[in-house]
Amino acid sequence: MALTITCPICGKRNGYEFRYGGEEKGPRPDEKDLTPESWCDYVHMNKCVAGVQQEWWFHRDGCGSWFTIFRDTTTNLEKETPEAKE
Amino acid sequence: MFFKSKPMWGKKTKLKSSYDVVLIGGGLHSLATAYYLAKEHGITDVAIIEKNYIGFGGAGPNTAIVRANQRTQYNVPLYKEALDLWPVLTKELDYNLMFNNCGNLNLMHSEAAMNAARMNIATAQFHGVESHLIDAKEAKELVPALNISDDITFPIHGAMYHPPGGVVRHDAVVWGLAKGASKMGVEIHQQTEATGIATKNGKVTAVMTDRGVINTKQVLISAGGYSAALINGFLGIKLPISVLTIQAMVTQPLKPILDHVVSSGAYHCYANQTLKGEIATGAHMDQWPNYTTLTTAYYIKHQAQALSEFLPALRGVRFMRIWGGLADMTPDMAPIMDGNEQIEGFFMDCGWGYFGFKSCSAVGRHMAGFMATNTCPDILKPFALKRYQEHKLMGETAALVSYTPDN
Repeated sequence: MALTITCPICGKRNGYEFRYGGEEKGPRPDEKDLTPESWCDYVHMNKCVAGVQQEWWFHRDGCGSWFTIFRDTTTNLEKETPEAKE
Repeated sequence: MFFKSKPMWGKKTKLKSSYDVVLIGGGLHSLATAYYLAKEHGITDVAIIEKNYIGFGGAGPNTAIVRANQRTQYNVPLYKEALDLWPVLTKELDYNLMFNNCGNLNLMHSEAAMNAARMNIATAQFHGVESHLIDAKEAKELVPALNISDDITFPIHGAMYHPPGGVVRHDAVVWGLAKGASKMGVEIHQQTEATGIATKNGKVTAVMTDRGVINTKQVLISAGGYSAALINGFLGIKLPISVLTIQAMVTQPLKPILDHVVSSGAYHCYANQTLKGEIATGAHMDQWPNYTTLTTAYYIKHQAQALSEFLPALRGVRFMRIWGGLADMTPDMAPIMDGNEQIEGFFMDCGWGYFGFKSCSAVGRHMAGFMATNTCPDILKPFALKRYQEHKLMGETAALVSYTPDN
């Protein structure tokens, strides 16, 4: 399965150098007013979009940076913006 | 199949504008649910709508292995029932499902793994499932091709032997259940894509499709790997699911060499010989969510390395085909079955990961009971979505699996 990820520091590299870090879910919820529901939502829940999603990656076998990219989950191709389609 | 006017399981029918029950997804879980709705509850005004063709998703690409040697007291009875149902269904459906209970051998590669197996076996035996701990010599007697020497990466200490497991012909289950369900009046509509679910006052009222609106009070989404995207897209319900591609492959056909399903956690590999003689093997997944079913040379290499260590007779044998399918993984490796909770009349049966095939018969039966009576059967209660909020995750794996940072 072909996958390349563009690291902000190292540029376009083989996807196996990276570790997937989950869907972008916004900032960690504030501990004040935290409910089991909102915490569960942040920790476990995914949208599982079949299309373009914003997601985190970690350059494990590289510079070690964490960053987000947009990727089309139906093709494994990176996208410039969430609106960008084929 | 599409060139003939008559599908092999029954007559083609016109899509009506209303049904008592609509099942989204034409896989084994939907087919089994429809079959039992009609058979055990007399509900026959049922439509299965499938975007592609029945058995397109997980029913086709899976490697046909069935077993009931899971880890928790919630899962084991469900899989045991499924295992017990194969011979029953073969008779009921009058369709040869080719159930071959050749037995499963889970290899253990350390004393710690042997201890973990002891616990699994105790759970199995408590629930009346036959499972034994055997040592390396006994494993070698069962599978003479096994390499039990010390000079491999993960020497074999013993195995968990589960005689009632084996393989079932997966396509036959699809056709058999489709035939059985449609004989009782269930309608199967292929090439029909669900595009939304309409609700009013917190109740399901209709399913939108690319062929028109279907009015219904009950809808089940059991669309395998596509379930999570559909449920979120239609109803905005998020699920603790990550959809990954899982790959499998077969070698060229060989003379009989392997008459058990052999699997190893340490090698990340399972293998069994199909009735055609091919060695079917697989296990690994690429660790990022996607909806492609693309395959990689990386896994062919991995599979070849693993097999040539613990089944050295396979060295030099060629792989013939490789394919991929989708697995909707949950953090506790247990499925999500729920209904009437988020929206009245909405049911879901998803998060099966790579266990959907093994469980389809029993789950279809209980989901049918759930939908017919609007009461969740006790056996399905622990699988509700709420467990994640209540932090009652199942211990199906020893440690929480996260398909995010720590894996």
